[in-house]
Amino acid sequence: MIPESVFSVVLAPIGFVAIGAMLVLLGEVLLSRTKSFLGRPWNARLIGSVLAGVAMFSLLLALFVSSQWFATGDVQVFNPQHPLLQLDRFSALASVLIVLAALLSCALATYYLEAVGINHAEYYALLLLSTAGMLVLVSAIDFLSLFLGLELMSLPLYALAGFDRSRLSSNESALKYFLTGSFASALLLYGVALLYGAIGSTSFAALRAEFDPESTLALCGLGLVVVGFAIKLAAVPFHQWAPDVYEGAPSSVTAFLSVAVRAAGVFALLRVLGLGMTTGADAAIDSALASLAPVFAALAALSMIVGNLMMLIQNSVKRLLAYSGVAHAGYVLMGVAAGGSEAWAAVVFYLVVYTFMNIGAFAIVVSLAQRGRDSDRVAAFAGLARESPGRAALMTLFLLALAGFPVTAGFFAKFGVFSAAVNAGLAPLALLGVVMSVVSVYAYVRIPVLMYMHEKDEFVGRAAEAQSGERFVLLTCGVVVLALGVLPNGGTVFEFALGEQGFALWLPPVLDWSRDAVAALVP
Amino acid sequence: MLPELNTHLLSVVTFAPLATALLLLAINCAARLAGATLPVLVWRTFGLVASGLSFVLSLSLFTGFDLKEPSFQFVEHAAWLPSWGIDYFIGIDGISLFLVLLTTFLTPIVLVTSRHEVARSRSSWVFFVLCLETGLLGAFVSLNLFQLYFFWEALLVPIVFVIGVWGGPGRRRAAQKFLVFSALGSLPLLFAILVLASLPIAENGALLFNLVAPPGAGGAGLLDLPIAVDGPIWWQNQAWLFAAFALAFAIKLPLVPLHNWLPDALVEAPTGGSVLVAGVLLKLGGYGFLRFAVPLFPDATLAVAPLFLCLAVVGIVYGSLLAMVQTDLKRLVAYASLAHLGLAALGIFALNTSALNGAVLQLVNHGLVAGALFLLVEMLHRRRSTRLVSEFGGVAKPMPVLAACFGVVILSSVGLPGLSGFVGELLILVGAYLASPLSAVAATSGVLLLAAGAFWMFRRVMFGPIDNPENRGLIDLGLGERLVMLAFLLPIVGIGVYPEPLLRRIEPSVVELLRRVDSRTQTRAPSEPAPEHERTLVIPIDPSDEGEAL
Repeated sequence: MIPESVFSVVLAPIGFVAIGAMLVLLGEVLLSRTKSFLGRPWNARLIGSVLAGVAMFSLLLALFVSSQWFATGDVQVFNPQHPLLQLDRFSALASVLIVLAALLSCALATYYLEAVGINHAEYYALLLLSTAGMLVLVSAIDFLSLFLGLELMSLPLYALAGFDRSRLSSNESALKYFLTGSFASALLLYGVALLYGAIGSTSFAALRAEFDPESTLALCGLGLVVVGFAIKLAAVPFHQWAPDVYEGAPSSVTAFLSVAVRAAGVFALLRVLGLGMTTGADAAIDSALASLAPVFAALAALSMIVGNLMMLIQNSVKRLLAYSGVAHAGYVLMGVAAGGSEAWAAVVFYLVVYTFMNIGAFAIVVSLAQRGRDSDRVAAFAGLARESPGRAALMTLFLLALAGFPVTAGFFAKFGVFSAAVNAGLAPLALLGVVMSVVSVYAYVRIPVLMYMHEKDEFVGRAAEAQSGERFVLLTCGVVVLALGVLPNGGTVFEFALGEQGFALWLPPVLDWSRDAVAALVP
Repeated sequence: MLPELNTHLLSVVTFAPLATALLLLAINCAARLAGATLPVLVWRTFGLVASGLSFVLSLSLFTGFDLKEPSFQFVEHAAWLPSWGIDYFIGIDGISLFLVLLTTFLTPIVLVTSRHEVARSRSSWVFFVLCLETGLLGAFVSLNLFQLYFFWEALLVPIVFVIGVWGGPGRRRAAQKFLVFSALGSLPLLFAILVLASLPIAENGALLFNLVAPPGAGGAGLLDLPIAVDGPIWWQNQAWLFAAFALAFAIKLPLVPLHNWLPDALVEAPTGGSVLVAGVLLKLGGYGFLRFAVPLFPDATLAVAPLFLCLAVVGIVYGSLLAMVQTDLKRLVAYASLAHLGLAALGIFALNTSALNGAVLQLVNHGLVAGALFLLVEMLHRRRSTRLVSEFGGVAKPMPVLAACFGVVILSSVGLPGLSGFVGELLILVGAYLASPLSAVAATSGVLLLAAGAFWMFRRVMFGPIDNPENRGLIDLGLGERLVMLAFLLPIVGIGVYPEPLLRRIEPSVVELLRRVDSRTQTRAPSEPAPEHERTLVIPIDPSDEGEAL
């Protein structure tokens, strides 16, 4: 007999995504055996499009369920006897964000896979499985389910990184990612084992209740858990894998990898720490876990320094964005270190913004890929403004957002975490972040300078037209980055009446949503 | 007039250019989808209409300005991000009024005159100039520090494009240098603003970015907040906060060790860009000191005033000397700007009524003079494709009108009585003499050097025999060019002859600023007599006397 809890709504988003993955796998096997369908001959491209449609449909269902759940604001626990997963506003918002990232990555991949010659439908299945893993990860309230989610997230990604199997660098990327990823998992698992030894339970609630800062065993365990997360986030000094993996993996995979893994990791980290927050909205993290704040501050400082400085000397856009990701992990960790619900709301907002601006930047890289090969040299951007002004303008927008210029969402995101750090008394850390941002401005602006102020490199072929999927992604990301750059907390932009009907252009209050999500963390 | 326009006049002035630019961009995108392109003529016409409208409306700011009110006028206040203490809060006083006017005056002229020089991507040029205008105006009218930073940082992007896309041969380097110098200044400013906003958090748990309390909404402003001089937490002390603010503003002003980006940016930028950078962008530095750094951190200001006076004098002398030896006319104007703005800095840090009045006037005057000079140089350049002084000689014979305009502008720039430069320079030098006689003497010698350099250049270019046969057939200014020059000469002569309408608007705000500085100063014990240079603050010069004296 199946226990009732299996049908719990907690599993609904995860279930939709996982069932979608199965359908895609099954569909690939069935469709590729058929020679024609309704009189029309099948080819790999058609199969790919159909299965991409299936994948996106399942993601849309998951998106719908999670956003509905966020709207209701209820809390539901899976398996109440031994709570493993919890669906509340925090995990609902995290799920929405991750599913959105997966959706955008799917839309981005449809043409790109064909262009690079790796149009196999397993791609979507792996992407969906990894997404399912992330959804488990962000709703986990027990180290067991956390580890389960982490592995389910990572294993398909290792395969995705090596998806372009005829290319050596893709294989290298997969192997490197697999090795470091396994280390991360092993360290985390070891940490969990130590914590279990010290506390006698694997649930976050027990960790909160019984954590003893005097106990070396528990501290070692927590430290190892943090290291495991730091590797996933690519925070310095655990970042060495990121540039190589990002560069070697197919660009559409890198787009997903760079935002979703980081977002899921930070959300899970907040959940682990969050159960340590005392009741009361603005209380800082518990004394037990306050000892971790300097650790996060140190990770943040190192990440900001190394990430921003290394960005200066990169010749590959994907490596540049990899180090940019390291730097952004630093900014996020600064917010985590600041502690308190307002700071963490800023962190959540940062993740939302980062998702869109980074996927946008990668979408440009993807759309510039030429038939048969990736083109990610910085020099390939020379003179792009003349050739495709729209993409040049959008790339400039995304890079300015990453650099934190106003009128883009990146500014408010950075402003939020810096402000949180200053308010929490971490002003020197914020000052370091500010100084490093100056460095990053120089690094990011190299590309717009090439696009607008240099003539085209004659060895670079003409960029292909942007395809519909890519246009959709670019437009979505562009609109979000600009809209959140003016009104991060939404509101009515303008309204007018036409006859009886009133119309209003309304933007969502993303900042308030972030606050609501973090409010759900406080027990 | 529409009632809504009256209550939102300042917003309309500020955002009309941006709104037009975005609208044109949207139409352009729609046209591209349909396979057509929006003609450049449409861009130029609508751009001109928008910036012209902005100018006309800003004139009604001037006429509607209340002379009795020392504080902010045309105030608009609305919630933007209440949870972070961020408001949309704008208003002007006598100091910012004329900088707003200067901006709205120069932008249409830039759009008109850049027709010949900007050869490619003309529609983007209009777009960026309009964005830039809104950015500059937004920075001048912001009364919320967050909002100030928002505009301050956002306007870098159009400027970098203006320099880097349409500039001269060294444009890429100049654009990057400008951007890095600006970012170096603005990001510490962001940090200081964040620290400042977090100061009242202990009391009421909310961030505070408003400079003064918004009317009707109650609450407090940052100017009501005491800022520790010698507190236990170093980053909350005036010295460090002032350092961060001063760095940002001194780079823009520019003060001498931080001026390195200026000649490159001004020389490499297209003429329209040079006019806007020299005419308006540099004013942000002086304005930032007057509006924010000085009243917020009076103790720190008083402590470093001697140093800054010194730097200002060095700037005047150094700029004048370098201007003297330049062979390129545009570079010469760039170094002369350095000297002129050194004079404005002298006025700001002399910290008395007369000097501050002079400093504001000098900012306005420099905007006019530098704008006119860059345009005149471009008119010569368009005819001869060179800007080298040695290539010219005797130009006054074929081009008497240009020579006359050039002469008047040069005379105003060196401070001839009856022209706009004189009033500002005199007030600054008088004020500086009260603050520190030595600095006034040194500055005066610097001004003389500048005059010598300018006249020498003028003589070599305009008079003497026509050595170079190419100069013989030069065509004098056309009607359009004459009209543009007339637009500059009217205010230059007008301010010089009758500065009272300006002084009567500037003076109350300056007195209010000094009152704030005086009341917020913590380091001076009440019994202690005010030091020499501060005693003058309590003797405001009566505006009517001023008019008679001149």
